[in-house]
Amino acid sequence: MSLRLECRKVKRTGFVPAFIVGGLLAAVVPVVNMAVRSEIYVGLEGSPIQILMDANWQLMAMLNVLLLLAGACLMYHTEYADNAIQKMCTLPIREWDLFFGKFALIAVMGIVVLTLEAMGIAFSSLHWFAISTDFVLELLKSFGYAFVLMMPAALISLLIASLCSNMWVSLGIGIICVFTATMLPDHNFILSLFPFALPFQIYAGAAETTIRNLMIASAAEAVIIALAESLLLKVRRSME
Amino acid sequence: MSFLSLLGVEFKKIRRSKILLILSAAVIFLWLPSIFNADMNFQMQEEGISPENNFLIQGLLAMAWFIFPASMVVGTVLLNQTERSNKGIFKMLTLPVSTSKLCLAKITVLFTLAAIQVLMFVGIYYLSAVIVTETQSYNFILSPLFVFKEAGLLLLSSIPMLTIFWLLSVCIQTPIFSVGTGLASIVPSVLMINTKIWFAYPMAYPFFLITAEYGRLAANLNTAQIEFVPWLPVAACITVICLLIACSCFGKAERRSSV
Repeated sequence: MSLRLECRKVKRTGFVPAFIVGGLLAAVVPVVNMAVRSEIYVGLEGSPIQILMDANWQLMAMLNVLLLLAGACLMYHTEYADNAIQKMCTLPIREWDLFFGKFALIAVMGIVVLTLEAMGIAFSSLHWFAISTDFVLELLKSFGYAFVLMMPAALISLLIASLCSNMWVSLGIGIICVFTATMLPDHNFILSLFPFALPFQIYAGAAETTIRNLMIASAAEAVIIALAESLLLKVRRSME
Repeated sequence: MSFLSLLGVEFKKIRRSKILLILSAAVIFLWLPSIFNADMNFQMQEEGISPENNFLIQGLLAMAWFIFPASMVVGTVLLNQTERSNKGIFKMLTLPVSTSKLCLAKITVLFTLAAIQVLMFVGIYYLSAVIVTETQSYNFILSPLFVFKEAGLLLLSSIPMLTIFWLLSVCIQTPIFSVGTGLASIVPSVLMINTKIWFAYPMAYPFFLITAEYGRLAANLNTAQIEFVPWLPVAACITVICLLIACSCFGKAERRSSV
């Protein structure tokens, strides 16, 4: 029920078109890169998905993270503008349900964006590389992994947005966090657990233990952030 | 109302927003990795750049690529949201003020925020240079003239980019599209600086300039240098066109809906 309500709230804000356009933009990145610079990549060894992801995923993941941030800030902006959140608090619903409904909507849009990007990568693989039999499985695994790793970033963007009533404050904090994530060295395991740095990890070509550890870590982070949000909401409510 | 008094009003409006805190936090976070990785400045022998120059240029590169454009997108959000929340823009439109003067006052505030952030950058650079000089026992502090020249180049080259961000936030009514488009347009600038038509993409100007400076300071690196002839006329045209369109479109949607 909460998800349907959130869908109606974002209908006139251009939320869904923005995500679709962002997904299309990110999907076009591997195609354009291959169209312009195919000689560099065709001779490399490794599966097509691995070559394409190594070359393009940093840019695509950056667009994904920025989209998540902008979407989260927008969703809470529609609550804080005109004091809608105070009216929501008078209704017999918990603020936690609001947070969870928004998270569900952002997760659905994340799936849409990742599907578009998967289609872009699939098209580039089919057009410029020879594909093997387990191509579809590898593609699904890569993008499933990317989806799981995107969840902590989505949750923490929503957390920041729910705490700040001004959109530019939450956007500014989010931008600083994204920038810090891009500056972190990627060989250090502990630092790669930063929620905004997780989406930049690639499935193809990574060690089994790394994949397993990162998935467990992102599930744990998602739970911790969700608990932190419910705690912060309770504290804020009790202080009003 | 005179332009100066309008400008004063605009500055009063952003006085209590926490924008300066956010801008300074962004710059501090920019310099923290440079302080921690200061020993990497001594390993730049193959590029042929001195450690203190490298320290400054790495900071400038990070600033020009992401932090500065992204902070300016946040600034445009601030300037527009202060009007849109509580329908402030309707009250402004009832005053005997020309909307183009209002638009110009707001974009002057945006330029001022950009200048303040660049000044903060220089200030925190000197602070980090002093810290790193102490920890590495090597003088990292450069002459103020040089540092201000580089920072000034960064600021001046970002003017077309700022007008485009302002145009996006004025013309696109839904804030997510203007923010999303602004942020998404920063991402390809890494690719655009390697092409010959970089001067057609204003978001890449600061990054291209700083990369050219990097090439000039490093003896063994050859990066593309700036050619003033296609760049300056194109930049000037883009700036003027964006300003004209933004001033004519400012408040148009609200005027249409209120009539």
